[in-house]
Amino acid sequence: MFQVNRAYPYIFYLSLAIYLFSVFWGLFLTPEDFVQGNSYRIIYLHVPASFISQSLYLAMAIASAVYLIWKVKLSVYLVRSIAPIGAMTTFIALISGSIWGIPTWGTWWVWDARIVSTLILFIMYLGLISLHDSFNNNEKADKFLSILVLVGSVNIPIIKMSVEWWSTLHQPASVTISEKPAIDLVMLYPLFGSIIGFTGLVTCLVILSSKLQILKREKNKSWVNDYV
Amino acid sequence: MQPIIRAHNLSYKINDKKLFQGITFDLFKGKALHIKGENGSGKTTLLKIVCGLTTPTKGDLTTNTNKKICYIGHKNALKQYLSIEDNLALMNVGNHQDIQKYLSIFDLDKSLDINIANLSFGQQKKIALLRLFLNNSDLLILDEPCVGLDMNTQKILVEFLNQELLNGKVVLFSSHISLDIVSDSLSI
Amino acid sequence: MDIIKFEFLKLLKKSRGWLGPILVFTLIMIAYPLTVELTDIELGQSFFSILWIAALLVMMLATEDIFLEDFNDGSLEQYAISQNNLSFVVGSKIFIYWLVIGLPISALGSIFCVGIINQPNFGFQIFPVLLISTYIFMNVFSFGNALSLTKGSILGTLVTLPLLLPLLIILGKVVIAINFDLNYSGFLFLLLGILSIIIVIIPMITSYIIRAHLE
Repeated sequence: MFQVNRAYPYIFYLSLAIYLFSVFWGLFLTPEDFVQGNSYRIIYLHVPASFISQSLYLAMAIASAVYLIWKVKLSVYLVRSIAPIGAMTTFIALISGSIWGIPTWGTWWVWDARIVSTLILFIMYLGLISLHDSFNNNEKADKFLSILVLVGSVNIPIIKMSVEWWSTLHQPASVTISEKPAIDLVMLYPLFGSIIGFTGLVTCLVILSSKLQILKREKNKSWVNDYV
Repeated sequence: MQPIIRAHNLSYKINDKKLFQGITFDLFKGKALHIKGENGSGKTTLLKIVCGLTTPTKGDLTTNTNKKICYIGHKNALKQYLSIEDNLALMNVGNHQDIQKYLSIFDLDKSLDINIANLSFGQQKKIALLRLFLNNSDLLILDEPCVGLDMNTQKILVEFLNQELLNGKVVLFSSHISLDIVSDSLSI
Repeated sequence: MDIIKFEFLKLLKKSRGWLGPILVFTLIMIAYPLTVELTDIELGQSFFSILWIAALLVMMLATEDIFLEDFNDGSLEQYAISQNNLSFVVGSKIFIYWLVIGLPISALGSIFCVGIINQPNFGFQIFPVLLISTYIFMNVFSFGNALSLTKGSILGTLVTLPLLLPLLIILGKVVIAINFDLNYSGFLFLLLGILSIIIVIIPMITSYIIRAHLE
């Protein structure tokens, strides 16, 4: 019944391999940073996690819009299943960012715009989950979840642009589309690899979570009994 | 002649459980329809669908009326902390003489400045029914209108509804008590 | 226009609805200097933070039953049936609440500003900022209130609180600009722009949510 079941092992092992390979490369085979020493290596966890947390919210926003306009039930199942995973990756991003902060800037938390906006994103994920679970009537809960996701998506541009609009402690983007990257190529390749690998792993998590959500919400249908 | 309400194959589901299905009816001018059913069978939901508050899961509904719908539901829409006078001002129905006429019929015209919260259940229902008696609509939708009313007031209500039917309005109501109104009936 | 008049009369008679938040705000602003040492420098630095936080929390308190009572006694149902334009009803409700609660709070905040920081200029400059920001707070909190109308209003309001934190960041910048006597009209226009978007979108979304609750 689920076509993705056939492809799932390939996705999982491939992305695991890519991620571990990139992390290994980044951890052991790249030279030290001139200023930060060895502590910059947490970038291979922190950057993919924060990139994924924002992309997941964007994915939720698009799926919510699809649900509100075309009433496709599958999209709202997707939104509900992505929410806890997004919360987890945002948490990883915050924690790894704090760990990075201690050797580099001497403090593990500072109230600058990007960090506070990411914290707001984390709280929004938790709020979405708690709002959806507090309703008994599933259709109402779905509608409100989608509306809240769309209204909260105003936070994403704030996170992205906060390093440019306000002078913050966080460094501006090292890799842009138009200019030469500010980061050395030796470190850039494992960074890309780790982003791709992490994306693949999170995709596997999303697949698992949405399968569970579909089975849970459609448990009155006959095909579920045949499947399970 | 176009029916005022045309409902075709209405069905409603809550949480994947069917409440009712296949409801079809046409209501023309001057006709009444009595919705019958057990508790929890979906009478209030059907009335809300006709009002436009709820959307049915399947089927369609068309209403051919230019004026607003007059809906008397379970809740009274009265402010508990305001007096009778203020509530009537908020209701914004009818003119002063008509209001006085009905208030004196209901025996409530003596002290207009007591709080709604100090009235009994039946008295509050009578004030809420003023919205019906002074209505300016073609379509009257009543959900259990006789709950809490004494026999006298029920008679007045039935007489009023019969008169409205003669005036060409449409009445759609649900009631456990049988009322003396010329109506078709529909069981859910 | 009748709706605005009726909502105004309703709110005025319900004195606990508007007197409560105003008194809470006054209490916070009076109690605050008691907790700090009474030297001018320290009072001035953290006064504005207390002002924004107090305004934020008082707005949260004020919108607690903006829709709840009407929903429970059926008036919202009647509005939804008779008025085709529920978003106008919602918008006028929020406007009246802001007029009766937000306006006095802004005035009080400016007066306290003049009293605590001994520069009358600050008070005049902060007044329009307070006006606009209290209106934005009120809008967003009514949206949050509508989300959890049937489950008790606190959950929804708390969930929408994080959306207002970027606004607090902007308000902090405004205060810095005022302190250094810079021209803060750019911030004022930014706030006006945010307000103009919110004033149109929030009533539409809130009326959609209320219709979903009425089903």
